[in-house]
Amino acid sequence: MHIADGILPLAVSVAGYATTSGLTWFSLRRIRQLPDPQAGVPRAALLAAGFFVVSWIHIPIPPTSVHLLLNGLIGMLLGWYAFPAILIGLFFQAVMFQHGGLVSLGVNATMIGAPALLGHLLAQLARQRGWLAPQRQFSTGVVGFVIGATTLAMSVLMFFAVQIFSFDQIDPTLQRNALLVAVVGYLPVILIEGVLTAMVMTFLARVQPDLLGAPAAPLPELVAHGAPVQEG
Amino acid sequence: MHRWDARYKLVGLSALLLAMSAVNDLRLAPVMLALAAGCFLLSRLPLSFLLSRLRYPGFFLLAVVVLVPLMSGETVLVQFGWLGVRQEGLVLMLVIVTRFVSILTVSIVLGTQPFVKSVQAMGALGLPPLLTDMILFFYRYLSDMAAMLMQMQQAMWLRGFQANRLSSLPAYAALMGSLLLRSYAQSERVYLAMRLRGYGAAPRSRGQFGATGYDRAALALALVCAAGLVAASWWL
Repeated sequence: MHIADGILPLAVSVAGYATTSGLTWFSLRRIRQLPDPQAGVPRAALLAAGFFVVSWIHIPIPPTSVHLLLNGLIGMLLGWYAFPAILIGLFFQAVMFQHGGLVSLGVNATMIGAPALLGHLLAQLARQRGWLAPQRQFSTGVVGFVIGATTLAMSVLMFFAVQIFSFDQIDPTLQRNALLVAVVGYLPVILIEGVLTAMVMTFLARVQPDLLGAPAAPLPELVAHGAPVQEG
Repeated sequence: MHRWDARYKLVGLSALLLAMSAVNDLRLAPVMLALAAGCFLLSRLPLSFLLSRLRYPGFFLLAVVVLVPLMSGETVLVQFGWLGVRQEGLVLMLVIVTRFVSILTVSIVLGTQPFVKSVQAMGALGLPPLLTDMILFFYRYLSDMAAMLMQMQQAMWLRGFQANRLSSLPAYAALMGSLLLRSYAQSERVYLAMRLRGYGAAPRSRGQFGATGYDRAALALALVCAAGLVAASWWL
């Protein structure tokens, strides 16, 4: 889901770059406040590469197939690193594969990255309430579904709204109807994205709980028996 | 074109790209195309390379080419039942297509610069080290991840996985989760290995660049062309 270069007017592209600059600055500021900001760089970059590759998988929705965006999952797993990771992925796509474009990079990054940051904030809220926890797989799945579907819905809405409302010569009623049709047409993909995000979240909760943002579980025997750690 | 200092090239061609997106008048389309053709000829790239790169993003433009002449404007040129091809929409479509081809051509010329060199140039122009590090890590491990995905998918197919049903979603989720786990595990190993080699402790170099008078003159020319294009689009 990219807007190609040449379609948007300059004002929209510049506004996209302004928003992207602001969100990148804010994300980097929050990253620098972390105890060891550099420790997260390889993790965020490699997970971003993983997400980039995962988005190539064709998911069957008979009679066709779709690619997933997974910006909600990126937000939940990468936290404040999500926006820079998405920006880098989009920059790479624009330069190496001509998907999207360098002029529309700001708009595309805002469209996909801003909902990812919202996904991170919602996930933080869910963690505080205990809904996103390895022990509670059902609620983790529900949180995954809600965040996955909501973030994609936001991106879809922005994607079509930016394209349709950029042409001021089009009749406003026609613009509104086109937006409605486009978003309703995307509903099955939004649901599939939500379901798959939920499934990946429950999978990670079972296999690698510390990826969900929760601390890794301590070794049971050391906690249960209070055994001292032996040195040497 | 390829000998142009990477920092100056990045600034000059980016300015041209932005200026091209400001063009809204069909009368400026030939000027824009001429600028793009000039960049392309100076880069000495084969035409087949350009055409192969234009093909895929061209599909994204197809909707605009079809819909804009039907939806935009009031002066109907041709009527097919309830559908009418409008003059304003047709002009807008031509402007968009010219803009698209010009911008993409200049982007392709910019993209022929070695990727690492472009990242170093962005670092030298002030991009935060955290971002340049992330870009380089991403670039280094992307092909590893792609190879990993291909291997895992082959393993699934060899075990009889049917990819054409909605009921295969749990298997896709496990595939995605496993790939993310592998990238996570690899990132931990990479980080520890880099810490042992002093990552984050040594002072950073901003890359070795040396601009000549020709680099500066080329940048000035690109900026003048970009400013001229923007001024002309406002004037017309």
